[in-house]
Amino acid sequence: MAIVYEFVWQVLHVLLHIHRTLITWFRLRLRNWNGQLWSRALTALIVPIALSFPNQKNIVPAPGKRVGRRYRWGADGKSLEKLPDHIGLLIAEEEPRYTDIANLVVWCMAVGISYVSVYDNYGVFRRNNSRLMDEILKQQQELLDLEGSKQLSVEFLNNGTDKQDQQVLSCQSVLKVLSPEDGKLRIVQAAQQLCRAVEQREKTSKDINVTMLDSLLRESKSTPDPDLVLKFGPVESTLGFLPWHIRLTEFISLPSHVDVSYEDLFSALQRYASCEQRLGK
Amino acid sequence: MSWIREGELNFIEKLSANILKAGPMPKHVAFIMDGNRRYARKRQVERQEGHTQGFDKLAETLRWCLNLSIHEVTVYAFSIENFKRSKDEVDGLMELAKQKFIRLLEEQENLEKHGVCIRVLGDLTLLPLDLQQHIARAVVATRTHNKCFLNVCFAYTSRHEIANAVREMAWGVEQGLIKSSDVSEALLGHCLYSSNSPNPDLLIRTSGEVRLSDFLLWQTSHSCLVFQSVLWPEYSFWNLCDAILQYQLNHRPLQKARDQHREGQALQQHEADRACVADLLQHHGNGKPLDAQRRQEALLNYTASREERVQDFLGALQHKRDSFLTDLTSQAALA
Repeated sequence: MAIVYEFVWQVLHVLLHIHRTLITWFRLRLRNWNGQLWSRALTALIVPIALSFPNQKNIVPAPGKRVGRRYRWGADGKSLEKLPDHIGLLIAEEEPRYTDIANLVVWCMAVGISYVSVYDNYGVFRRNNSRLMDEILKQQQELLDLEGSKQLSVEFLNNGTDKQDQQVLSCQSVLKVLSPEDGKLRIVQAAQQLCRAVEQREKTSKDINVTMLDSLLRESKSTPDPDLVLKFGPVESTLGFLPWHIRLTEFISLPSHVDVSYEDLFSALQRYASCEQRLGK
Repeated sequence: MSWIREGELNFIEKLSANILKAGPMPKHVAFIMDGNRRYARKRQVERQEGHTQGFDKLAETLRWCLNLSIHEVTVYAFSIENFKRSKDEVDGLMELAKQKFIRLLEEQENLEKHGVCIRVLGDLTLLPLDLQQHIARAVVATRTHNKCFLNVCFAYTSRHEIANAVREMAWGVEQGLIKSSDVSEALLGHCLYSSNSPNPDLLIRTSGEVRLSDFLLWQTSHSCLVFQSVLWPEYSFWNLCDAILQYQLNHRPLQKARDQHREGQALQQHEADRACVADLLQHHGNGKPLDAQRRQEALLNYTASREERVQDFLGALQHKRDSFLTDLTSQAALA
């Protein structure tokens, strides 16, 4: 009898996997089909000179168009009832695509989100942060028509060291590149710090409370906790993302960051805008 | 038994349960039982009735978990943030809890028969004294049972739990039981209210909200999270099966992530021990560098002594917690 149940279970899971693959496949096909339709309409209406059709996907809008998009995205952000102050992009997929993540970061900033965090549970972004930065600056140029260093400041959370890789003079948004070390390990380091203070009789154990721990875990007083985390990938877990900071964070799952579109991001933001937080009341 | 509904699954439910059980099953499931008040509004009944029905649904869900061989369940019953609610509602909830714990104590034989161990996680000192005493009696009475475990988070938030764990470690340092260099991820985990339980494999939140609301933030970092839109009092066996199916689909990648994290943790601990040994040798050595073998011996000795220190500390901590509960029960007996 056990063998029968096991067989049925195997069949069930095969069906679920097929179902999942089909959905992903349909989503991509629909996206490409829509993309081609839009590009063709654009070409027909706005650019009278016929461009070579095979290169539809690579069409680079004229500079005026890029500025138009920047304002549209900014307007989109203002049209939402609420916008997160701090958004987390949790990439729960094996192979990150830097261009897509750079796009997401640039869109988030264009829409008006002040703090953007990027996280993966292997620490890949942290190790390759210069590559990520290059890609973001490139996409900023491409999508927003902005000179490289005007729009964003990048801070890397470094354990213990105060090294900050600041690239800008005037910053409108802050990017943080996070890894699992910024989660539980940071909490443990804060705990060690407090215990050392107790060992040296600078504090007593009774002094330790949530506020004290919170101030140690907050790199700067102005950095808010993430309001929204967009999780990309099929794994349904936070995978070690900042355990202390996510107590009130909304989690919205998106199937993948590969070929993600602005519309995907915006509909997630719309969903966030409609969430009601009662804060215990 | 009032806390666990009596009854068996029907034929189709049993069939589905057996099919699910052919795959990996969660051993510990956590529930955020959200949606009682919205349910009451929907049914146009009093809020208190919504909460009562929510409790009945908990009893039913515990029965299903036992049928599915899930032997540990943690539920988020009352958050420290919930004290912000109206006095009427808070008093109503405290009264409901009191009644349920009193009923529980009347069913001691049944609890013993089913081997149910009840634990209450949270800052009990925030609760009314009579409720504290009832809770203490229930926990002490079922302490030795070990067939299934129900952890009720009451007057709980995860941040308070973590801060409390750090405070306990600091207390250990104050008492000279441990050194600040002994503080590690594993030790912090052992100082949480949930130290006697493994981390939850699956966390389910009902009513469509997609946040954790300060619940088990440390323990669920690698758990499968399932957000379901059904309101808690309307939860069904099929909702539970759906959640378990999600767990099974995520099982392998999560296992991999967990193993990777554990390896990283072990490496961290090893490095920390090495650093401590190097420090000690520098301070207490005679200046001559030790050969590799002596260094290795010193490392092993240090690790062994650290582990012994930590065990003694955890024993003292457990004793402190047990005494707190026993004192409450003797107070209750005298009253």
